[in-house]
Amino acid sequence: MFRAFPTLLRIGLAEAVAYRAELVIWVLTATAPLISMFIWDRVAEEGPLGGWGQGEMARYFLLTLIVRHITSSWVVWELNENIRTGGLSPMLLRPMHPLVFFVAQNLAAMPLRAVILAPLIAGVMWWRPELMWTPEPWTVALGLLSAALAWVIAFTVQVIFGSLAFFSQQSLGLFNVWFGLWSLGSGYLFPLELAPDWLRQGLLWLPFRATLATPVELLAGLVDGPSALRLVLAQLVWVGVFLGIAALTWSRGVRRHEAVGA
Amino acid sequence: MSLGVAVAALTRASLLTTMRYRASFVGEAVMAVAWAAWTAAPLFVVFDQAPTLAGWTAEEALAVIGFFIIAQGALEALVDPNLRAVVEQVRQGTFDFVLLKPLDAQLYVSLHRTEPIKLVHCLVGLAIVAHSARAIDAGAVELASAALLMLAGLTLLHSLWTVVVSSAFFFVKVDNLSWLIRAGLDAGRWPVSLYRGVVRFVLTFVLPIGLVTTYPALALRGELKPSTGLGALVISVLFGMLARVAWIRSLRRYSSASS
Amino acid sequence: MIQVNALSKVYPVPKRGEGLWGSLRSIFSREVEEVRAVADLSFSIQAGERVGFLGPNGAGKTTTLKMLSGLLVPTSGDRVVAGFDPSKRDPAFLRRITLVMGQKQQLLWDLPPIETFALNRALFGLEEAEAKRTQEELIELLELGPLLTRPVRNLSLGERMKCELAAALLHRPDVLFLDEPTIGLDVRAQVAVRRFIAEWNERSGATVLLTSHYMADIAALCPRVIVIAGGALRYDGPLKDLAERYGGGRKVIVRTRDEAPEQLGPFVREDGALVARLPSAEVTAAVDFALRQVAVADLSIEEPPLEDVLSKLFAERT
Repeated sequence: MFRAFPTLLRIGLAEAVAYRAELVIWVLTATAPLISMFIWDRVAEEGPLGGWGQGEMARYFLLTLIVRHITSSWVVWELNENIRTGGLSPMLLRPMHPLVFFVAQNLAAMPLRAVILAPLIAGVMWWRPELMWTPEPWTVALGLLSAALAWVIAFTVQVIFGSLAFFSQQSLGLFNVWFGLWSLGSGYLFPLELAPDWLRQGLLWLPFRATLATPVELLAGLVDGPSALRLVLAQLVWVGVFLGIAALTWSRGVRRHEAVGA
Repeated sequence: MSLGVAVAALTRASLLTTMRYRASFVGEAVMAVAWAAWTAAPLFVVFDQAPTLAGWTAEEALAVIGFFIIAQGALEALVDPNLRAVVEQVRQGTFDFVLLKPLDAQLYVSLHRTEPIKLVHCLVGLAIVAHSARAIDAGAVELASAALLMLAGLTLLHSLWTVVVSSAFFFVKVDNLSWLIRAGLDAGRWPVSLYRGVVRFVLTFVLPIGLVTTYPALALRGELKPSTGLGALVISVLFGMLARVAWIRSLRRYSSASS
Repeated sequence: MIQVNALSKVYPVPKRGEGLWGSLRSIFSREVEEVRAVADLSFSIQAGERVGFLGPNGAGKTTTLKMLSGLLVPTSGDRVVAGFDPSKRDPAFLRRITLVMGQKQQLLWDLPPIETFALNRALFGLEEAEAKRTQEELIELLELGPLLTRPVRNLSLGERMKCELAAALLHRPDVLFLDEPTIGLDVRAQVAVRRFIAEWNERSGATVLLTSHYMADIAALCPRVIVIAGGALRYDGPLKDLAERYGGGRKVIVRTRDEAPEQLGPFVREDGALVARLPSAEVTAAVDFALRQVAVADLSIEEPPLEDVLSKLFAERT
């Protein structure tokens, strides 16, 4: 199974190159953090908020944009489409788990996403050079680990909603509801640090921040040691929870698929 | 007269078409309210930190959100379904049948596929604007001029969309372009005066969502200079003319190059 | 009714280089290649005629129909259809013509055909009572009764085509452009469509210009054919003369009861029979000869298959 992985990556990259125009459009449509950045820059202009000046704002939203693009995938749509049209059946006949294929597809597109994102990143750094910072090595290390965990959670959540298509026509609608809550609760549209207290406290117990705000805050060096460790531990818990749910919905769904057909 | 009959028949046909797919008014209304709350949430977080921002209070900025939701509802009800239909027709070649009808083709493609149930979003947007207008204590003149500017903004959106459709005759993948424009329009949920430099220029003159959402809100506050208001009206008329020209040119191209 | 004079259409087609480098280069320097779809085409069609418009794929048939209906602007030459210049797409002109394309449909996909009829009645601004009458007439002729209330997407291809025809004729156009109206239909549906077109032409006196790849359509419907190949006119005249001129004439086959005589006249031996290929004027003489000289067991006269005639004509390059 893992011997095939390099080949899958190569095919995935070739595919991403073939669909480069769509990829550019898709990257450019997911730039909401830039809008938030302009707005919060304006807020910080009238005086720093709790240590957040214009530089911190720009740094936060730039990292948000980057982490968002590292952790996003299309699995929910791919699964939904393949389950609905019966395209999943041949995949189930391959001597390889279908999800391995989707993982490879996702990872293979990363270099191209980086290339497309690069001009935007350069633009923001030119516009607000104050965002530059010298991070401590441990925050970078922990931040990268946290970003990887965030990728796992985000991917797994999409697998869960994608495999709901085994059971329901409305799985994409449900995912949209998740996305709506996620964008408010993950730090995507505004920094959780600046949200009202009740909201911030509540969100500590929800999974959304583990997919975005946690790695972003770690990489930006906005968190102290103990809380950093606490946040990463919380991520590990969520990884376990979602992997468990995904294993359940996937195996149940495939069994149903085999029984009913598509 | 026969034009009225034709318009009524087109509206009827597209109503019947969409009714086959979605029926639940209640479901759509619930979605509309949730969508509005979701759209407004970041605003409350921002104004929780700063009581006023670039001269805007939370109530006033809420009016911008209201106009934004109205514009989005109009897009989804009247503009987007038509766009998708035209792109499909050009791709399949059935657009020929549109040209063979003795009715202005621009009028035809603006009406032939609509989803009136999405107008619920406009109602929710109007409710938000009404709430904001009461908080601001807007007078009759302010309300009237805001309404006028909103209508101008909506025709502007329609013109912008016509330009997009016109480009469908040159490039095939226009639906992607429309996603990009939708993402750009998303910036219009904030007062355009919060942006600076190039971004502000783009949002006022190139992708003029600022005219659609911010200017009516300014009018509501009574802070729109008559000259600016007039300028906005002129711009929307200009865009309308631009759209007509783009449409006619692309039709000419269609009938000289297609096969 | 239709006058075409020296009509030409040239498409500019951008030349694309091969591979990544080639496509990059073509962004900056656009080399344009000219493709001549229709070249110097002239013909005229009288009111009420049924004319078959034939040619191999890519001969320029559809391009010509589109120029005649006003969808395409010709590069040069002119044409008058029903007294109008089609390019202007004058509403008065559009009310007098119709175009049916076998490969494309105008019916509203998710609604029953009756709704498309209602829409077209409104779009063409038809007088309600009269349009209803036409609609009833079409429904009866095409036997659409049971189809009217079913969504178009649930109809078979043949049923859809019949509804397409009805939708296209509600405004009683004087000129019918039919571009492969029977394509993909099964034999029964083909026959039904054919019968309807002949019947409608007779009832309404409308002019019909029809393209088809099914020779049975042409043979059944069109006394006159216009053949083009490579965009240029190859033949314009009665269908029966076409076979005469390009089919190598008719084939007279005689099977004899006993040994064939010494004197064969126009016949040659072929597979144990006597065969003669002759222009139709000489057929009677040959039959006469056979009856007098040979003990005839069986005698038959065959027309050359239209397909053969046409492929000969298409192959012939000028």
